[in-house]
Amino acid sequence: MVISPVHYVAVPLLAAFLMPLLSKINREFVRIIPGLVLIYLGYVSVTLMNQVAETGTIVESIAGWSAPFGINLVFSPFTGFLATMMTAMAFIIWIYSYRFKKVDSEPAQRFYILQMMLVTGTIGIVLTGDIFNFFVFMEITAISSYALTAFYRHRDGAEAAFKYLLIGSFASAFLLLAIMLLYTQVGTLNMAEIAQKMHTVPMPMKVSILILFLVGLGIESEMFPLNGWAPDAYSQAPGPVGVTFAALVVKAGVYGLIRVVYTLFDIPSVGEFLIIMGAITLVVSEVSALKQTNIKRMLAYSSIGQMGIVLIAFGIGTQEAVFGALFLMFNHAIIKGLLFMSGSYLVYNNPEKEIKYLSGYGMKMPVISLFFSLGALAIVGLPPFAGFWSKLYILMSAADSSLYGLIALILAVSVIEIVYYFRVVGRLYFGKPAEGSIMHKATPGGIIAMSILSITILVVGFYPDIITSYIHNAAEALLDKAQYIENVLPAAKDLTQIQN
Amino acid sequence: MKKILVIFMLAVIGYSLGTSFSTIKFGENRIGDPKEEKNVAAFYLNKTPDELSVANVITAIVVNYRGFDTLGEVSVLFLAATGLGSILYRRRKKGEHPEVITKPASQLLQSGSKLIYPAILVLGAYVFIHGHLTPGGGFQGGAIIATGLLLMMMAYKDFEIRHNVLTWVESIAGITFVSLGLTGLVYGKSFLENFLPTGNINDVVSGGIIPIIYIAVGFKVAAELAGVLETLLSNKEND
Amino acid sequence: MSSIDYNQIMSIGIYGSAIGLILIGLYAVLLKKHLTKIVIGLSIIDAGIHLLFVAIGYIDKGTAPIFSPKGIEMMAQGKTMVDPVPQALVLTAIVIGFVVTAVALSLVIRLYRHNKTARIDQIKSLKW
Repeated sequence: MVISPVHYVAVPLLAAFLMPLLSKINREFVRIIPGLVLIYLGYVSVTLMNQVAETGTIVESIAGWSAPFGINLVFSPFTGFLATMMTAMAFIIWIYSYRFKKVDSEPAQRFYILQMMLVTGTIGIVLTGDIFNFFVFMEITAISSYALTAFYRHRDGAEAAFKYLLIGSFASAFLLLAIMLLYTQVGTLNMAEIAQKMHTVPMPMKVSILILFLVGLGIESEMFPLNGWAPDAYSQAPGPVGVTFAALVVKAGVYGLIRVVYTLFDIPSVGEFLIIMGAITLVVSEVSALKQTNIKRMLAYSSIGQMGIVLIAFGIGTQEAVFGALFLMFNHAIIKGLLFMSGSYLVYNNPEKEIKYLSGYGMKMPVISLFFSLGALAIVGLPPFAGFWSKLYILMSAADSSLYGLIALILAVSVIEIVYYFRVVGRLYFGKPAEGSIMHKATPGGIIAMSILSITILVVGFYPDIITSYIHNAAEALLDKAQYIENVLPAAKDLTQIQN
Repeated sequence: MKKILVIFMLAVIGYSLGTSFSTIKFGENRIGDPKEEKNVAAFYLNKTPDELSVANVITAIVVNYRGFDTLGEVSVLFLAATGLGSILYRRRKKGEHPEVITKPASQLLQSGSKLIYPAILVLGAYVFIHGHLTPGGGFQGGAIIATGLLLMMMAYKDFEIRHNVLTWVESIAGITFVSLGLTGLVYGKSFLENFLPTGNINDVVSGGIIPIIYIAVGFKVAAELAGVLETLLSNKEND
Repeated sequence: MSSIDYNQIMSIGIYGSAIGLILIGLYAVLLKKHLTKIVIGLSIIDAGIHLLFVAIGYIDKGTAPIFSPKGIEMMAQGKTMVDPVPQALVLTAIVIGFVVTAVALSLVIRLYRHNKTARIDQIKSLKW
């Protein structure tokens, strides 16, 4: 069978449907199957990325109808890079979550089904070339997130999930309205054809549709002021789920925003709007992070801030800025993943997840504290860790566009980041342990996962060139709208043709 | 104070929605002549009776042209069952069977439902088997069947569908859908491509894999909705 | 002349009622205090959006997009069919909306179990 992008969606779905049946045979299957599926998807990713490097973007038509009459999946250097990143992170998260917490086998089965659907949803969002299909995958992601946020019974998961659900439903409603209006104007749902016909849409209508899209997608990408759901969801969700939110879900949301702004629409001043909103998001969330005493909420606000920087960089819009933004997305997934993973272990037995209970853990949990400190150093952008390069490129692109105020802003915010991260690190190493504080030993899976991420951070920090070629191609693919349209429309390349 | 603010905001939203939609003339023909195939809808209207031999164009769109969306939808339904089971999970103590419905239903409901129930089931089955010929289809038919099941659940306290059965039906229906898609990938060239002969239009057996998929979808929707209702009604959890 | 007025009345009626549904639902979500009422409000918003979507697909004097024997006859006579695409999209959207409502209700049940109340102002952790 030819390896094609649809495997990303079909295989996890098949596995998810099979899980209830297979669990009746052997209870342990439910923990192992996601890993197998993700290994296979990793293989698919490598194959497809190589193919894309040789022959260019892969466009696959579903059900034999070429675009725009059918739905098509687009695996370009850009979307493929994101899909590969998500697959890799999902696999690392699976390693981490193996026996993370003692749960009965029935909830464990549901947990893994929901996780696999969440991963399917985010990868589907990134790979699809059809705007309503995008909406469907967005809903798959959202509903899995609602259920996963409420997974633990003894926390305020239900409240956080309910808030998330309400706000998420508004996002879907706005998206549906936008798709509706767009369909009446261009008569098609295919992204490439929409991009082609966008110039025929009258300006007032275009602006209305864009606003609806921005609100709907801004909620998912945690843009201010639509991110009220995020701190609660991140802090109440189980540890592995928090990592999934930070590394996969929000990336898919930002991807949606970028695809709409860069490919579908052609209004030039949107970039400035993104810069402004990104800056506001950055400042508000970082200042809020400073005030947090709950470590997971602090990390959540920090995530929102990083996404603010990503939005700023996408707003600037030059090739260099886009490169920096994609690099930052990659780094953020790895680093924030590591921070959430180690943070979850640090506060494992601590129901309020308060920082002040972490005094002196540096001695008691040396390995995990080391991971956390590594993550903290990396995220504030200190060399020689990975985060340094992405921040550098973004600052350089801002300088090239003469946006010196932004440079000052980002540097100032970095100082705030250093303050609240090193507050935690300091407490870890220089505090006196309180009596009766019980720490929890990490599972082997957890240690392996965190080590993989740490090594990646170090490797990318010292040799960023390993990854930069992929990101350069991705940035090029994103910015080249004409190429995208050409790839998808006339008669999408038949897969069998490429193989021969 | 808050009320006034909200009403003001609603007025603004209503006004902006209204003006946006007023530019879209109601009933305007944006498709044009189907033969010209100026846009996607015209293409569907033109190609469906000839190439797919399916009478109901909407079924063709849902199952064939945009079958991927339907796959997503089917997985969303699966998420409903899983999510509900996960959110409402309670570790069952030994021998505990809590029931929420405590008042027995009236005589009218009990005898009436016995009469209507088979008819509802047959109607639902008819709707999803003939999805490609008449208005309706898998989702509509499945919902009708689930309504019949709900009627019985409300009338009789001890009417229950074993969760094993529901789980099997759900999973098998879902697997059928994805397997048909993957078979299309192996035999044809693309996922969900039609690989069976299409027959004559307006026959029950026509349209290739479309009726098969829709029947699977019908079963799945019925099973899912019944499972959701059961979970919410009787405080029992899905296995 | 009269058909133009008819069209205007229809459009105001249909668009107006759909938008009205959305506004009613929004009102319920934003101002009601009981959780179940909020969920019902969400459901009403969905209904309004779906109605709007289907209304967009209508073509004046069009018939259902089904090629039954009668339908083929009507096409031969030159009648048009309404746009099938919005109807297909709404099918999917309705199912998705149903699932979201189901998940919301299960969350309400859990909140009720935990807090013994289903009013949003009495559950302290739901502060906006």
